[in-house]
Amino acid sequence: MSGRLKQFFSQRGMRKLRQDKMAMGALFVIGCYLILALFVVAHLPSPEAVVMRVGPDNIPGVFGTQTAEKRLSDAEFRLEALQRAVRTNDPETSLAEFRMGDLRILAGTPKAVESRIEGGWKAFEAVAVYDDIEAEAVALELLENLESEVAALFSPPTGFTALASFLRLSLGTDRQGRSIALRAIYSTKVAVQIGMVAALISVLIGTLLGAAAGYFGGWVDHLVVWLYSIFSSIPWIVMLMVLASMFRGSRFDGGLIPVYAAFCMSFWISPCRVIRGEVMKLKELEYVQAASAIGFGHLRILLRHVIPNTAHLMFINFSLLFIGAIKAEVILSFLGLGVKDEPSWGVMINHAKAEVLNGFFWQIGAATAFMLVLVLAFNILSDALQDAFDPKHV
Amino acid sequence: MSSKALLEVRDLVMHFPVRGGVLNRVLRRVHAVNGVSFAVQRGEVLGLVGESGCGKSTLGKCLIRLLEPTSGSVLHDGSELVGLKHGGLMKHRRKMQMIFQDPYSSLNPRLSVRETLREVALFHGVAMPHGLDAYIAHLIERVGLRAEAADKFPHEFSGGQRQRIGIARALACEPEFLVADEPVSALDVSIQAQVLNLLMDLKEEFGLTVVFISHDLKVIEHFCDRVLVMYLGSIVEEIDCTQLHAEARHPYTRALLGANPINDPADRRPLTVLQGDVPSPFELPPGCAFAGRCPVVEERCHQERPTLSERSAGHSVACLLD
Repeated sequence: MSGRLKQFFSQRGMRKLRQDKMAMGALFVIGCYLILALFVVAHLPSPEAVVMRVGPDNIPGVFGTQTAEKRLSDAEFRLEALQRAVRTNDPETSLAEFRMGDLRILAGTPKAVESRIEGGWKAFEAVAVYDDIEAEAVALELLENLESEVAALFSPPTGFTALASFLRLSLGTDRQGRSIALRAIYSTKVAVQIGMVAALISVLIGTLLGAAAGYFGGWVDHLVVWLYSIFSSIPWIVMLMVLASMFRGSRFDGGLIPVYAAFCMSFWISPCRVIRGEVMKLKELEYVQAASAIGFGHLRILLRHVIPNTAHLMFINFSLLFIGAIKAEVILSFLGLGVKDEPSWGVMINHAKAEVLNGFFWQIGAATAFMLVLVLAFNILSDALQDAFDPKHV
Repeated sequence: MSSKALLEVRDLVMHFPVRGGVLNRVLRRVHAVNGVSFAVQRGEVLGLVGESGCGKSTLGKCLIRLLEPTSGSVLHDGSELVGLKHGGLMKHRRKMQMIFQDPYSSLNPRLSVRETLREVALFHGVAMPHGLDAYIAHLIERVGLRAEAADKFPHEFSGGQRQRIGIARALACEPEFLVADEPVSALDVSIQAQVLNLLMDLKEEFGLTVVFISHDLKVIEHFCDRVLVMYLGSIVEEIDCTQLHAEARHPYTRALLGANPINDPADRRPLTVLQGDVPSPFELPPGCAFAGRCPVVEERCHQERPTLSERSAGHSVACLLD
């Protein structure tokens, strides 16, 4: 088996692919996404955790200083959170419940903490009387005091936790205070899952039906052509809506199964069409005739002499369908028909609708950028595959 | 016809239906082969010559049942091939193989030479698995390639080398009968001679019976014992290769001979170019198929269809005037 694998990698097509720098770069990017989706995502903290004050105005860390108003409202948010925590019997747990991420309450008796919070609120009220904090030097000084007061109540995170917290906030948060970076990374899982399953099954079905139709002709061909004409006349989005409502209430509701089903039912058509045409061409070639002159059965001819020679089309169709499935998933989630219990780029873009109108672009920006890089890498790869494996070029 | 014949063909007809229209009806038929009868004796090389589209390749494919003839019969060693199903054909398949015209499409690009040959040898049980490598090496060397060629892929070879691999594949199941469908017409002239000589050697060594299809009378003369001249799906003349120049009588055969270049500038003679076109294979003319282009045509040629009749031993002509 390893011998065959070695032979495969030393074949001309693979050699050509390895020499293509763009293709190797694209492969590297796709590999990173795959590693993220398959190995990293499982170890990440929950993407649903609130890491910051609720509201979309937690701008990404990279955008630098915040306005005075923002700093003030942050301080208020923290004071409120602390106060509520201190009032309960178990401040540590209640803070954790409050999902304050890595912030920890200052050690000390509830009484002592309470009095410090009291002082904090006094400072806050002093600042809050100014209509325009930015313009007044006195107000800014008071704000500094307030922030040092609040900072004293929390021990700032250090080491790995600090880094994690920084990374988590690096792309800002959404309206509910959830980390955008985390959600965007988490979404690769759904994207890769859908891309893989939908593209693999579609190419498989398409190849088998297309090869059978092209090779046997006659009624098999009529049947397959009739089948794909029917399926291609139903828009996939309508098919998905029907399937989604069919699965409603069952245990697949909101999951990926209806999405897979709808994608496979509509995506197998294009590989089927292409491979049917290719096989019709191939079966007239002399090596296929030689195979039947030797006496090989139809199955052997198909599996060994015909289908392997459509491999380049299978590769290209796979990578095109992978992109197609990811984009379609985004559209579906945007319409609220796709994934419901997990973040995906489509879900993120859907959530960002209201934010964008107010100028908070980082959620839609992050989701789009993550998708763009993956789709672009796949496009470059499919071009390179076409060049490397098309028998016309070898 | 003698009962010793390896292959006997009787009234072979091959029509291809052209379908179309709403209900996929048969609109018309291509009359590729129209009632051909001949026999191939064991050990002989029979040439099949004619211009493009005259049905010689179709006939060749009918002989080894790559195509199922519309009617007629093909007897291999006295047993009928027409109408046999896949399983019944199997024992005949091993005995008869084909060499194809285009060396660039006759080999599966994804299989190495070894895989190509191994598949055939194992399938027909010609070699035991443990002796397989030796058998393949012998075969490759026998067709004039080096044994290292076994692990290369078709794209690493030139046209002539590929044709040798094609020949090796045809011989891998040790057949006794070979249909060579224009095996050299896609090759350079210098390579043509090498491949022809190889075929001649192999024919002696393996005791092969060959049907050699070509449109080049020179090649046929060089290689064959007997030649069948085909025109529009029918045999117009059957003649011994040694008598070809002196005895050929059908106007079409004479025209073919006249079109051959002569490698002697002193022996220059006016070229008689045939006028007109081959009639449509969809609708055959009522009379002689060649009447429209025949230089010596008479009135009755347009009404009466000539049949192949023997003029002397081993020489038959289908012409009304002869």
